[in-house]
Amino acid sequence: MAFESLLGNKTRTLLSMLGIIIGVSTVIAVVGIGKGAEQSVNEQFQGLSANSLMIMSNRSRESTGSSNLKASDAAVIKEKAVHISEATAAVRGSATVASGKTSASASILGIDASYFKVANYVLGKGEPLSEDNIVNKDKVVILGNNAVETLYEEGEEPVGQTITIKGKSYEVVGVLAEVGQSFGPMSPDDSIFIPYTTAGASILGNDSMVMISLTVDDVANVELATEEVTEILREEHKLKSGQEDDFRLMDAGSMVGAAQESAELMTTLLTAVAAIVLLVSGIGIMNVMFVTVAERTKEIGISKAIGAKQFDILSQFLLESVALSTIGGLFGIGAGQIALYIINKTELILVTNTTTGPLIGFCFSVAVGIFFGFYPAFKASRLDPVDALRSE
Amino acid sequence: MKNKSAIKLENVHKSYYLSNGEEIPVLKGIDLEIKVGEFVALMGESGGGKTTLLNIIGGLHPLTSGSYFLEGENIGNVKDDFTLAYIRNKKMGFIFQQFNLFSRLSALKNISLPALYAGASREEREAKAMELMRSVGIEERAGHKPTELSGGQQQRVSICRALMNEPDIILADEPTGALDSKSGLEIMKIFTDLKKKGKTIIMVTHTAEVARYADRVIYLRDGKVTDHNYKLTSNY
Repeated sequence: MAFESLLGNKTRTLLSMLGIIIGVSTVIAVVGIGKGAEQSVNEQFQGLSANSLMIMSNRSRESTGSSNLKASDAAVIKEKAVHISEATAAVRGSATVASGKTSASASILGIDASYFKVANYVLGKGEPLSEDNIVNKDKVVILGNNAVETLYEEGEEPVGQTITIKGKSYEVVGVLAEVGQSFGPMSPDDSIFIPYTTAGASILGNDSMVMISLTVDDVANVELATEEVTEILREEHKLKSGQEDDFRLMDAGSMVGAAQESAELMTTLLTAVAAIVLLVSGIGIMNVMFVTVAERTKEIGISKAIGAKQFDILSQFLLESVALSTIGGLFGIGAGQIALYIINKTELILVTNTTTGPLIGFCFSVAVGIFFGFYPAFKASRLDPVDALRSE
Repeated sequence: MKNKSAIKLENVHKSYYLSNGEEIPVLKGIDLEIKVGEFVALMGESGGGKTTLLNIIGGLHPLTSGSYFLEGENIGNVKDDFTLAYIRNKKMGFIFQQFNLFSRLSALKNISLPALYAGASREEREAKAMELMRSVGIEERAGHKPTELSGGQQQRVSICRALMNEPDIILADEPTGALDSKSGLEIMKIFTDLKKKGKTIIMVTHTAEVARYADRVIYLRDGKVTDHNYKLTSNY
């Protein structure tokens, strides 16, 4: 009987479902966006390992260029720190780079032979820089993925070609595989790599920054290693107690953790918004059910007169409101999936299809139907049959 | 078994209460007894409480005070929903002046409803409904909705519904009030057949012609029974 009455007034049924449809589709979209954000974070930080540390100059010293951080600090740390298994230094600067057809301003990293290993970078093509390259101050260069795209057209083979850096010719010996987001200010995809011995003030200019990458021997020792390295550097730089560090120490693990936390927080917040929308739609359902009960007061009277129990009336109206909200919920799931599909197509942000979203949305819609349909159904069941029969 | 008591009311009072607490008494001490198989008409002026009395007997309303013996059992202060629903569903069949059918359901479904509330299966219900419709001659109209039926046909559907769970007592509130005289006669013929089958019938009416079909007339005035065997004059 509940279904018959729902079909009897399709317009009203659809309108009252609208709130639930919007609410549930919002839940689906929100969960998809949130999970997508979490996935983004995971993908972006995939290249990092949890036991990487990076040291850069303290921010304020960076701007004045008076940092004490030197490339040789890496060797010092490697020697003195117990928990550091690898240390490598890089010097960063920028200069104009030209490939023959295009020229661009590029971020240049002067590195040593162990840099790629410590930073977990993988070569896409060609050869890495060797110890000999470093010792001999060879003019060789490895290009980051985006740098290749800027300097060369699609299909062109960069390895073996020559580029000029600040007027001097360098041979391209390799291309870095795409890394994605890395910690630190510049992405390696946008950088080009030359031996740090070749890079000098003439290439990098006076704005060169030193970056030291360290590998901790075990993930569990990251905190210990951080303390150790801080102590060693402070000693090396002759800092007095009370003086601020003139360097920054960053570890990958906590950055990934922080990014993930904020992604999760966003999901939670958005879900709360969707839940509020659902709540409001529940009030809409309650209203509709009150109107329905009022309209069918006489019918309720007849039903009671021929022997319907209060429970029969209650369950009939409750079933109706649950059917309303559940069917609306199913529509909402459909609408939500479509919304996710559209967002994916625009490629503005990453969204993922989840099973959590539809599940939450469905459960919510059923719960809303039961919760907000109950009071009108209850009142209906308690109507006095004689009074009800008298109403028109 | 003809002398067994079907309905017995002792000093039954019924009052309505306004929202400000004011009491409006409608029945002011009803004493009556109706035996099994009797066909009784309730008459009286409007406002005299006939319908209220019928509603009390039918379990649609609880009494304010007094005793109500249904087939010998005192159910006077029955106020719980379960028992009231049982009485309405299995013990009584109610027929209204305005038919009170569900306009969205077919005749067949309307008639089957009391059995639905009693928990019968769909086959059982529909078979019984068809049988009842045949007995009053409206079986071709089984699939029609009330709006597609004449007044007389609707009332016959109503009667079938009232008979669905085979109650012993039929209550009718002005059953021919909304019908033309020809349809009215057909309905009264059905009532006569029901009495022959041993049903107890209590009918409210204000028309003497209709009242004549009954075995006796109980007359109500001002909330009390003034005559247990009222004689109809030919002036009416």
